[in-house]
Amino acid sequence: MREIILAFIASICPGIMYNVTRRNLFWVGLSGMFGWITYNSMIEVTGNVVFSSFLGAIIVGLYSESVARFRKAPTTVFSIPGIFPLVPGIAIYNSTQYIAENNLLEAATTGIQAIACAAAIASGILLTSAVFRFLKKWG
Amino acid sequence: MKINQVMDIAIKAGKILLTKGSEIYRVEDTIRRICGYYEVEAECFVLPTGIFITVIGKEGEPISYVKRITERTVDLSCIEKVNSFSRNLQKNTMSYEDAIKILDNIEKDKGYRFGLRLLVAGVTALVYTLLFRGTVKDSIAAFFISMLIYISKEKISRAGIFRFFEYFASGLIAASISVVVVKLFPYLNVYRIIISSIMILLPGVATTNALKDALRGDIVSSQFGIAEAAFIVVSVSAGVAIILSFGVGWIS
Repeated sequence: MREIILAFIASICPGIMYNVTRRNLFWVGLSGMFGWITYNSMIEVTGNVVFSSFLGAIIVGLYSESVARFRKAPTTVFSIPGIFPLVPGIAIYNSTQYIAENNLLEAATTGIQAIACAAAIASGILLTSAVFRFLKKWG
Repeated sequence: MKINQVMDIAIKAGKILLTKGSEIYRVEDTIRRICGYYEVEAECFVLPTGIFITVIGKEGEPISYVKRITERTVDLSCIEKVNSFSRNLQKNTMSYEDAIKILDNIEKDKGYRFGLRLLVAGVTALVYTLLFRGTVKDSIAAFFISMLIYISKEKISRAGIFRFFEYFASGLIAASISVVVVKLFPYLNVYRIIISSIMILLPGVATTNALKDALRGDIVSSQFGIAEAAFIVVSVSAGVAIILSFGVGWIS
């Protein structure tokens, strides 16, 4: 429960940094919260970080696309702060630290993990955005 | 309305979108739509560094306009406002003076005050430390370090030095202060503090926009965005790595 509230604040904060208007801040917070809940529960079930990031990003994407229509604001307002809790900050940092310690093998492992996570988040957002665009043109 | 005035409105709207960190396809769409509402046929081409518009005038003469964009910040509220401006324009087209006035107001709006943004930068680091399962003490250290990074980043960016240097310096400052703090208070965890305090530097906007552009088939702009994101991450990591290379040995 504590982490859910933290995730909520953790995406409102980037929202304020990126100047989201006050009336949308609450919805921005929910976006990050849902993404984080999905990501965290998938990690507990599967233990696969990349796959969990992918699913988390899909939820953020679905949420942002639907809320954007109902709040009449661009999708990015909700999706950019929403993916913040999923960003592989730890993996990027670990990779940097291993390079600093001259442990290149570990650096490569964690670096690839970071890139894979970023790619997973990217494809999650891309997929939902493509599906919504298709639905809009089709129906 | 004169064609020049229509182009003026379109260029201004496009410029606001582009400087405030919008996707490229949105800029092109908005310019095309605004011209369309005033029944002017326009062809436009937008790059992350400039806007090009050409319109065929009444006597068949081409009129073109080039606007170079140098500064790029992120302000999602401006994008939202220009979006609703363009949507309103569809319902009823307004006069040139009114349109320019609205756009001027959007551009002038500074958003949240600096003090609040500074506080939020600190809170972001605090929350992320706790989210990454750090202790409360770690999070308090991250809170202050992150605020310091935010101030120095603002200062450097106002001085207008090479943009990626901003990120390199921020990484450098984050890592060096964290190392010193951990040396003074050995029960803190250097790695959680650094991760959380550089969280505010990560290029979320560049990445997301690049993807959205790729989806619309604008490969040129999406390459730009991905390269920008990669440069930012590498700059921050380089700053952190330089300090850690000797800092880790020093504190342990």
